[in-house]
Amino acid sequence: MELAEIGCIILEIAPAFAAYYLAAVGHGFIEKSGVLNLAIDGVFVLGVAVAFAVGVYTINPWIAFFVTILVGTGFGILLSYLTIKFPISHGVAGLSIMFLGYGLATLVGKPARTCQGRVGAINSGFPQDPLSKTLMFILPILTGIALLFIINKIKLGATIRAAGENPHAASALGVDILRTRLIAGAIGYALIGAGAAFYTLAWLPLWSEGQGLGHGWIAFAISLSAGRHPLFTILTAGIFVGLVKYQFTLQAFYSLSPEITKMIPFIAAITAMVIFNITSLRRKLAPPQSLGKIYFKEEKEQSK
Amino acid sequence: MVSQVPQLIDRLTVAENIILGLKQYGILSPVKRVVEYIRTRGESLGIKVDPNTEVWKLSYTQKQLVEILRAILLGAKVLLLDEAITYLPIEEKRKFYKFIRAFAEKGGSVILITHKIYEAMDAADRITVLRLGKVVGTVYASEVTINDVRKLMFAERSSEITYERLAPGSPEENVLLSIRDLWVMDDFGDYAVRGASLDVKPGEVVGIAGVAGNGQKELIQAIIGLRMVEKGAIIFEGEDITRKGTAYIRRKGVGYIPDLPAKYGVSLENTIEENIAILPVFANIVIDWNRIRDLALKLIEEYQIKIPSSLTPVKLLSGGNIMKVLVARELAVAKKLLIGYNPTRALDAATAIKVRKIIKEKAIKEKTGVLIASEDLDEIFQISDRIAVINSGKIVGIFEADKADRKEIEHLMVM
Repeated sequence: MELAEIGCIILEIAPAFAAYYLAAVGHGFIEKSGVLNLAIDGVFVLGVAVAFAVGVYTINPWIAFFVTILVGTGFGILLSYLTIKFPISHGVAGLSIMFLGYGLATLVGKPARTCQGRVGAINSGFPQDPLSKTLMFILPILTGIALLFIINKIKLGATIRAAGENPHAASALGVDILRTRLIAGAIGYALIGAGAAFYTLAWLPLWSEGQGLGHGWIAFAISLSAGRHPLFTILTAGIFVGLVKYQFTLQAFYSLSPEITKMIPFIAAITAMVIFNITSLRRKLAPPQSLGKIYFKEEKEQSK
Repeated sequence: MVSQVPQLIDRLTVAENIILGLKQYGILSPVKRVVEYIRTRGESLGIKVDPNTEVWKLSYTQKQLVEILRAILLGAKVLLLDEAITYLPIEEKRKFYKFIRAFAEKGGSVILITHKIYEAMDAADRITVLRLGKVVGTVYASEVTINDVRKLMFAERSSEITYERLAPGSPEENVLLSIRDLWVMDDFGDYAVRGASLDVKPGEVVGIAGVAGNGQKELIQAIIGLRMVEKGAIIFEGEDITRKGTAYIRRKGVGYIPDLPAKYGVSLENTIEENIAILPVFANIVIDWNRIRDLALKLIEEYQIKIPSSLTPVKLLSGGNIMKVLVARELAVAKKLLIGYNPTRALDAATAIKVRKIIKEKAIKEKTGVLIASEDLDEIFQISDRIAVINSGKIVGIFEADKADRKEIEHLMVM
């Protein structure tokens, strides 16, 4: 009986886990290539809205899922392209895309919301039976393992890490930085899109303006506190998802004010990053050395 | 092309570094496939490096060998060595000479760029001298002497160049800086300095000799407070300064000349005045610009820095003059102690010798203690009163410079 209850509690967080975990490993993947990813929250919010809108219009979760992934991929390519083709700061490019994402999310979500108001609640989500929920654990984790394999075992991964560590040396060694970062951006953002899709289609099938706001940053923190390592991310994602999912239980249990409980995941994010940075984990799982540094071909010689 | 600073990516393994450039492997091919290939080709060339080691674990020499191996695997016909072996100890250099010969005999060409004349004399068939971007002459190595080449290189300044030892200092008996069983980590979380102990006396120049990447950088950074000390103590004038922070240490009268001075020593966009005012020794929250200007002008005059005014951005100066700005400033700070890492790298020989002379004079006249780590053994021998040899983060030997045997020191460096 008790075991079943625990199982139930764990399965309960599966949809949220899938959403945050996929977005977090996607984020880690693109950052491995040296692109500072500050656009994640905007694209996540947009993805949430796109999944909702397409879900409302087509009543098919799979179409919604894949359209969201495509939108994510597009933005990943855009971010990589902007930061390499032009000597602009990764921060500026990322944050601009973030605000673009916020705006587009409203644009996409509003009509669908109105439409949904007439049709009724969105009923095009992924199935919620125990088997599907188990799969929502297994498939993202398999994706994470696949990413780990790509990063550590094949040439593409070596190329991506090289681009993230030292793009100047890497291009001297024969790496096409633009192509590498475009691939990393596309794969990373496809996963962030997938995460956003799970957020809507499997977890919270409602939409109002600002839905998902800040949750891209939580995925960011999940990835960062795990040092962008797909396996450690399983652990941090589990902890964060537990906090997000059961914050209301905590609220009731300790009779906290809702404002405080809403802050819990973010406080945990800060705490996790502090812990990460003051322990020796900081060096073992160090970020790519050239993360966020402008790499611009014409300036190669001067910046050395 | 193989340059002085290995162009490899530290966090990747040897195999990963090499596969990046090999076009015959697609982006989806496993790295494993290239490992065996590297091992067999490496052994046939006499280069033994485990392809699965991460590059940061390799020694400087091994990294250079990996670079050469990579160039050959890519099918290079011409090897361009840009100061690639300048800072290797002589034993390692000989291995490279042999290798270069063998490569040339198989029909390859080698271009060796170096500022050490004897290196060119030893390794090359033909020597071309460049001065200020112009070719001033090409000679056959077998037909000329070192002095001929030196004249080509420096023209009228060639007489200034000397590798003789500078006048010995007269250290006092008490100890100024004492490093006791120091343990410091590198950027990768491994110990770079493993229990180093060393003393510096007032008026004494101590040189730390070692092949690049044996912990000298981390040791110097730990002393000035730029790197965490894991274990051990740094005692300055009887006070424990191990965890005091850079500003505190600097206020005590400690000057610091970092490696790559244009990057870590001065702010290129700012003027010489601003570069002085930034130090806590000279100014605190409110800057007394008049005082700074007086000091700047005094330093410009004293060190003959060629600069239009004290308000000219430092980036407009030549490399040698930028270095002079840094040295002048740090010597002004260094009332008691000056520490440095490769203080004359990137300077031409004549300017480098001038800088060494200035440092040495300061030590003799003002009883400043000096601790200098350098990969250039000529420099160590020229300036030091005592020579400490560092290898794998440990001080493996300390010698009086006038009695030191160069062969023995070189042996300790690569042991």
